[in-house]
Amino acid sequence: MIEVTNLGKTFSDVTAISNLSFKVDAGEVYGLLGPNGAGKTTTLRILATLIEATTGKATVNGFDIKKDAEAVRKAIGVVNGGMGLYDRLTGKEVLYYFGKFYGMSKVAIDKRIKELDELLSLGETLNRRTTGFSTGMKQKIVIARAVLHDPPIIFFDEATSGLDIMARRAVMNFVKAYPSQNRAVIYSTHVMSEVEELCNRVGIIYKGKLIAENTVTELISQSGERNLENAFFKLVERSGMEVSA
Amino acid sequence: MVFHVARKEILSTLRDRRAMVSSLLIPLLILPFMMLGLPLLLGGLFEREQTSITEIATIGLSYLPAELKTELETQNISFVEAQDLETLVKDGKYQVALDIPKSFSTQLEAGEKASLTLISKAGNLRSELNASKIQDAVSKFSEGIVTKKLESAGLSADVLEPITINNLDASSEAERSSGQLAWLIPFFIAVWTLAGGQVTALDATAGEKERGTLEALLVSPVRRIEVVLGKFLATLTFGLSASVMAILGYVLGGALLRSLFLKRLGDGAEEIVQVLGGSLQTTPLSILLLLMSALLLASLISALLISITMFARTYKEAQSYVAPLSFVMIIPAVGLQFSDFFGTNIFVYLVPILNALVLMDDIVKGQVAFLPVIATWASLIAFSALLLDFAFRSFKREGVIFRT
Ligand SMILES: Nc1ncnc2c1ncn2[C@@H]1O[C@H](COP(=O)(O)OP(=O)(O)OP(=O)(O)O)[C@@H](O)[C@H]1O
Ligand SMILES: [Mg+2]
Repeated sequence: MIEVTNLGKTFSDVTAISNLSFKVDAGEVYGLLGPNGAGKTTTLRILATLIEATTGKATVNGFDIKKDAEAVRKAIGVVNGGMGLYDRLTGKEVLYYFGKFYGMSKVAIDKRIKELDELLSLGETLNRRTTGFSTGMKQKIVIARAVLHDPPIIFFDEATSGLDIMARRAVMNFVKAYPSQNRAVIYSTHVMSEVEELCNRVGIIYKGKLIAENTVTELISQSGERNLENAFFKLVERSGMEVSA
Repeated sequence: MVFHVARKEILSTLRDRRAMVSSLLIPLLILPFMMLGLPLLLGGLFEREQTSITEIATIGLSYLPAELKTELETQNISFVEAQDLETLVKDGKYQVALDIPKSFSTQLEAGEKASLTLISKAGNLRSELNASKIQDAVSKFSEGIVTKKLESAGLSADVLEPITINNLDASSEAERSSGQLAWLIPFFIAVWTLAGGQVTALDATAGEKERGTLEALLVSPVRRIEVVLGKFLATLTFGLSASVMAILGYVLGGALLRSLFLKRLGDGAEEIVQVLGGSLQTTPLSILLLLMSALLLASLISALLISITMFARTYKEAQSYVAPLSFVMIIPAVGLQFSDFFGTNIFVYLVPILNALVLMDDIVKGQVAFLPVIATWASLIAFSALLLDFAFRSFKREGVIFRT
C-alpha cells in the first residue's frame, strides 16, 4: 500500500534522508526505528505531502505523492507526539472541524465518534474544552481526529513521547487493536520496546539511510544478539557507519 | 470550506474573554471616557485657576497706582511683599512675581514711559495663566491712559485701530460640526482594525504552530488557499468589529457630551465639545461610504496581518512582528491633521492606508468627490489581493510552515 523508491531530502545544507526505499503491505505495521535526527519525521512528512522530496518517488494507497497529493491526504491519518488541539474548542468540536474537511456529514461524524469512543474511551474529553486536558487525554483526541475518516493508512511519529505509562499503554493498545487486513501503518519511534511489541516488520534508519529491514526476530538472529537494542548497534556497525550520539 | 475555517477561528476568538474585552469593549468605552473626562478635568482646572485668588510676590507695592491695583484685584490677584522675587518663582513658591520700581508712579504721572518687571515661568501653564492675567490688567490700564490722553487732545480712541476685521466662517455645516479632531475617526478605524484583527490573526497563524495543530490541518485534504482565506475572513471580522465599536464609542461619547455636560459646564465648554468633534454630522450616504472604506481598509490590514504573522513560530514572535505596524498606522494618521495642505493630489489616494485615512477624513468633513473614492477603493482592493496572494504562496512554502 506504500511504496517508497530512492527517496532523498536535503534541507539547504543538511541531507536528512538519502536513497530510502521500502514497501509496506496491507495488514502490516511497519516500524521505522532510528535515533534522534535519523530522518524518520522527514520521511513521514514527505509521505504525508507536507514537504517535497528532493529525489526519488513514492506512492501511498496507489497515489503518487507529488501528482496526487490531495488523494494521498484523504487516504492517510497522522499522529505525532508534538500535535496539539485548539484549546478553546471541546474535543467534539475539534472532531467536527476536521471531519468536514474529509467531506463527512454531521451524522457520519457522530456515528464515527461513538465507535472511537469505545475504542479509545474518549469519555468526558468529548464535551470539555481541551485547555485543561492532560497530555494523555489530548493524545486520545489527536488519535481520534487522525482516524476519524477511517483512513486505510496511518502514520504514527513518536506518538507516545511525553506520555505517562498509562497513556502510553492506551496508545499502544490502540495501535495493536486498530490495524486490519486492509490497513497499513507506519510506526516511527526511537523506543525499541515499542517496535518489538507492535511491528510486524522493522526498517532501521540511521543518518538518513535504511541500514536493515526485516521482522524483529529475524533482525535479532541476523545480528547474533539477544535483543533488539544490541542488534541495532551491531547492524549500525556492520553498515560501516560511525556510531555517534 | 473557507467559511468553515473562518467560523472556527471566530468561535475560538469569541471564547477568548480577554481578547473580547480588549478588542470590543475597550474600543467602545475608551472614547466616551476621553471625551467626557478631558473637558471635565481641564474645564474644572482652568475654572479654578481663573476664579480662585492668586497671591503674587511683589516689591514696591506702594508705587503701584491705586487704579491699576484695583484692576488687578478684580482679576482675583492679591499681593504679598517679598524679597528676591526670581528665586521665589523659580522655586515655585509663587506662580508669578511683580517688581515695581520706585519711579513707576511718578513717571506715569509725568507722562513718561514707565516699566514693570513680571517674573513667571515660561512653559508652566499655571504660571503663564497668572502672568497673562496681570498683562491683561496692565494693558487695560494702559489703554485707559492712552484714551484719556487722546480725549484731552480732542481725538477719538478709534485712531488707534482704524480698521476692524469681520471674520466669516465659510466651512460647511459638516466641516464645522465634525470638529478639529475629525481625523480621529479614520485614525481609530485604522488602529482598532489592527488591534482587533491582530488577536485572531495571531491565534490563527502563529497560534496554530505553537499549539501543534498546523500539521494536522495541513495533512487533511482542505486546500491551503481555503485555509488562508478562512483565516483572513475571521481576522477581518474582528478587525471590523473593533473599529465599528470604536466609531460607536465616538458617537456615544459625542451624544453624552452634548446631552449631559454641555449645560453644566458653561460657556467655555461648548468650544471644547466642538474641538473634540462631539457633534458628528452624518448622512446615510456618508455613513455608507465610510463603512465601505472602513471595510476595505480593514481587509488590507487583515491581509497584511495574516501574511506577516504566518512567518512566526510563536505568539511572542508574531507579536514582535506586528508591533511596528501601529506606527505604519499612526504616522499617516497624524499627517492627516495637515491634510489641508495635500488634499487635492490624486496620487495620495493610491497609497494604501494613507488613502483610506485621507478619504475617510474627507467623508467626515463632507467634502468627498467621486475620483478619490474610486482610486482609494481600487487601490485597497488591489493591495489586499496582492497580500493575500503572497500569504497563500508563503503558506505553501516548507520553510514557512516548518521553520526551525
Ligand atoms: N526544516 C528543516 N530544516 C533543516 N533541517 C531539517 C529540517 N527538518 C529536519 N532537518 C534535519 O534533518 C535531519 C533529520 O531530521 P528528522 O526530524 O527527520 O529526524 P527524526 O528521525 O525524526 O529525529 P527525532 O527522533 O529527533 O524526531 C536532522 O539532522 C534535522 O536537523
Ligand atoms: Mg522526528
